[in-house]
Amino acid sequence: MIQIENLTHVYPASRKTPARTAINNLTLTVEEGQFCILSGPNGSGKSTLFRILCGMSLPSAGTIRIAGHDLFKEPGKARAELGVVFQSPAVDKHLTVGENLRLHADLYGLSSSLYAERLSEAMAWTDLKDRLNDKVDTLSGGLARQVELAKALLTRPRLLLLDEPTTGLDPASRRNFIEALHKIQRERRMTVLMTSHIFSEAEDADRVAIMKEGNLLAFDSPQTLRSRLGREMVVLQSRGAVVLEGRIRADLHLKTRRHGDEIRLEETDNGASLPILEKLLAAYRDDIDSIAIKQPALEDVFIHLTGPQKSDTSENGEIQ
Amino acid sequence: MIRVAFALARREFVRFMRQPHRVIGTVAQPILFWLFLGSGFNASFHAPGMNGVSYLQYFYPGVMLMMMLFASIFSSITIIEDRDAGFLQSVLVAPVSRMAIVLGKVMGGVSIAMVQTLIFTIAAPFLGMPLGLPSLGLLILAYVLSSAGFAAMGFFFAWTMRTSSGFHAIMMVFLMPLWMLSGALFPLENAPAWLHAVMIINPVSHALVLMRGPFYMPPAQLFADQRWLLALVVTLVWDAAFLLGSMIRVQKREKGAPA
Repeated sequence: MIQIENLTHVYPASRKTPARTAINNLTLTVEEGQFCILSGPNGSGKSTLFRILCGMSLPSAGTIRIAGHDLFKEPGKARAELGVVFQSPAVDKHLTVGENLRLHADLYGLSSSLYAERLSEAMAWTDLKDRLNDKVDTLSGGLARQVELAKALLTRPRLLLLDEPTTGLDPASRRNFIEALHKIQRERRMTVLMTSHIFSEAEDADRVAIMKEGNLLAFDSPQTLRSRLGREMVVLQSRGAVVLEGRIRADLHLKTRRHGDEIRLEETDNGASLPILEKLLAAYRDDIDSIAIKQPALEDVFIHLTGPQKSDTSENGEIQ
Repeated sequence: MIRVAFALARREFVRFMRQPHRVIGTVAQPILFWLFLGSGFNASFHAPGMNGVSYLQYFYPGVMLMMMLFASIFSSITIIEDRDAGFLQSVLVAPVSRMAIVLGKVMGGVSIAMVQTLIFTIAAPFLGMPLGLPSLGLLILAYVLSSAGFAAMGFFFAWTMRTSSGFHAIMMVFLMPLWMLSGALFPLENAPAWLHAVMIINPVSHALVLMRGPFYMPPAQLFADQRWLLALVVTLVWDAAFLLGSMIRVQKREKGAPA
């Protein structure tokens, strides 16, 4: 559904800032019907990629095909297959919910009967039924997001792009939004590409892409990504983490990674974690604030891949 | 394309009507301007070749032009708000012709300006400037053509601006002189030669000729009048140039530097 090939984007230099490479030779294919999460720390290039994917900017080099259409040569055809939900609101706050949806239908050339049909569809899964004549201004954050999603889905896009759509929502509204999205995605076999920082949202995805500094570090199913870290790891917190890390390496010859006050021992096979934990406690009891055995979650994969790795550059990418 | 443009224009209009202070402000300001300036100058005004024309009458189409100019140009300011509020991005990713995006804004601006100027037109018969139906038709044509040109010009400049206060500042520096030197305030004939030259190349003065025509000449005579026909052509070219220029600006996508 999306074929990105050798995509590079360089922001031009200005008087104050040098040229900056936001995306570096990225190649990525999202299959039809997949739910794909695009993640990465701030400045990783995912927002730039999103802008390019929805056709708002042109890259320095590379090609993108959306549903077979070249996004740069035939933008109109590619746009017609596309629904987009932006991070910031993209509805007119001074218009009512109904007026906004109607305007969107007009932009995409939906006939009145088709619009009526799609509108009743949308009313079935949203909580907007009684709010159609209210201005968007008066809606809660969660409902306003529903309007955005309903609007994008009116046109039955084959590909839905979402840019951190749950930003600013409370946990309950966020879960509702994601559940509704997953349900509709499965029913319609729609392809979804969503950028997100929230890893609970990514656990159910088909594919997770992780970017850093313009490079694609990983692109795989959540299960495969998690298994990269083994089934268990030991995580400990210490205020003197820098010193402690050095001592663990010197005394116990264990491989460690440090992120701030946290030291991780990721190379612990099943069953080995507990002895290691005991050994650590026995040796450094007074230096350890807390210690635990954890099953790696996606978030841990993310931290492993994108975290600062100055403390052990020699192990850079070892588990890949 | 027309359907999309109409849908976007309808949105502009609905938004405008939902902000009553905008409606009141844009109608009241020129009327006050007209009454105060017009009444003050009334006694001392003698235009060459226009005997029996009072200043209130002379100034009337000029105020109409001002109303039209400001309403049209400042309707484009909403493009900056649309960008800020995020609405614009959803229009840009839609599979719509870029000209439809420009036309939607421009038609919205024209319809808003029309409401205001048509209200003001009601005053004409009471000023001793009655209009026949054909003349009224020509007057409306003049409104639409000049308003479209101004709205498109506003769009062209507003597109790359990031703040509406910047747009206000630039447009005031730019528009007030254009309007003052259009012949709206005083007849071109009495002005010094250099001022006269400026007035001739000023598109706003052509819009004024276009609007003033129906008040002074019957339609048949207008279509034989070279000055009026020239104004018509200049305004049409002005419309086309800024519509096209705006479309090119919308079409242009931000591009990465060569790798």
